[in-house]
Amino acid sequence: MIITSAKPFEEILSLLKNEDDIFVIGCNVCAAKLKTGGEPEVIEMCRRLEESGKHVVGWTLPTAACSIRSFESLVEKNEKINDTSCILVMGCGSGVSSVANVAEVPVYGSNDTLSLGGSSGGKLLSQQCVMCGNCTISEYGGLCPKSQCPKGLLNGPCGGAVNGMCEVNRENNCVWSLIYERLKKIKRLDLLYVVHAPQEHGFK
Amino acid sequence: MLFNFREKLNSSKFLVTAEVSPPKGTNFSVSLEDARQLKGIADAINVTDNQCSIMHMSSLAFSKLLLDEGHEPIMQLTCRDRNRIGLQSDLLGAYALGIRNICLMTGDFPSCGDHPGSKPVYDLDSVQFLQLVRKLDSGIDFAGNELDGGTSFCTGAVSGIDPEKTLQLIKLEKKAKCGADFIQTQAVYDVGMFEEFMESISHLEVPVIAGLIPLKSLGMAEYMNKNISGINVPEEIMIQMKDASNPIEEGLFIASETIKELTKLSRGIHVMPIGSHKNTPRLLSMAGISGK
Repeated sequence: MIITSAKPFEEILSLLKNEDDIFVIGCNVCAAKLKTGGEPEVIEMCRRLEESGKHVVGWTLPTAACSIRSFESLVEKNEKINDTSCILVMGCGSGVSSVANVAEVPVYGSNDTLSLGGSSGGKLLSQQCVMCGNCTISEYGGLCPKSQCPKGLLNGPCGGAVNGMCEVNRENNCVWSLIYERLKKIKRLDLLYVVHAPQEHGFK
Repeated sequence: MLFNFREKLNSSKFLVTAEVSPPKGTNFSVSLEDARQLKGIADAINVTDNQCSIMHMSSLAFSKLLLDEGHEPIMQLTCRDRNRIGLQSDLLGAYALGIRNICLMTGDFPSCGDHPGSKPVYDLDSVQFLQLVRKLDSGIDFAGNELDGGTSFCTGAVSGIDPEKTLQLIKLEKKAKCGADFIQTQAVYDVGMFEEFMESISHLEVPVIAGLIPLKSLGMAEYMNKNISGINVPEEIMIQMKDASNPIEEGLFIASETIKELTKLSRGIHVMPIGSHKNTPRLLSMAGISGK
């Protein structure tokens, strides 16, 4: 799941300051789960925009804003999109770009995109994967230090953790403590002794 | 006669190194003056690399200034601000300018310092960084290209000293395996803990230089116990500091007693005063260390 948070409404209004006619596109996958772009949020956005003097031409909720077949497929959902002078996408950055890829009018995003996370055991998890293109998560018992250690350290923790909590944010566990516990649980502490090569950052 | 830090490291001499910060600005006279207090008593001077993520003059430039003044610098270098290209080019430059000792570390996160929004690099971690230096030492770069003149660095790495911290010990083991010539530790207050630490790494055969930060007040000890990873000021010392009529003198006395114990346990000490080295010469003489 892509983790997003809604920008403050004032910031969205400022993005749209030169726009009068707006078409709103939500996203019925990640953003809907996170309440940053599902149907109730889209309807609320339309209401607030109207209240602020904007003209909302219409709205639609594709299955996934990041998976848009063509502009015609959006017209099929709501033909009013043909009359708009701009589009506001309530999805992640990928959703905004997917719409922009098929639209001829300016496209704006209403959210900040934070990380690739998930939801597990009733908890929302942020920053679970950095999509590095070279997955070595199995060597760390299923927890990725590239994404969950702010320094992305691959060979063990830095010296900054205090009582198992991260130097960068004392409210977060040091992922290396979690990796240790996990490897102990699955009887693979031997993996801690592997010297890992650096991540290769070639253009993907 | 021993000439340089590497030779001293390979000898049986008890080593003294000390930390000096480059200036925050282009005026380096105060920092050089601080280093002058160490002349004749420190075997080498550690030059910090934007410590605590607070922007200062580069450790490379200040190491060269120290070299010109007749000091032997140990240039610290962190993984925070440079990718593998930047690290290698700085190392080649440092070697060409005569810098022979380096000490590598991960580096505090930028959000700890005075440019909290700067991009953290950490292209390599400290273990991989050691591997990189060993490649430069063998005449090739990290990508395997041949160099027109390689390096030959005496290379240190850092470690905490809590023997209970398995992950830290495993990382230290990797550092030793990847060719660290010496290990410089976090500040030692609990000599018993340090002794246990030394026992737990005795199989590594890497010289260990024990860190030392003289206490200046009870508040400082309390702050470090709470906020600095790997620092453990024992209760007994807390009481000594609490009861002291002159806390700075008491801190120096405690540190000098610690040094006396450390001469039996480590290859040397590394003095990191908070502030200047004004009291360092006296601290060493209180500990019975005569200097070079």
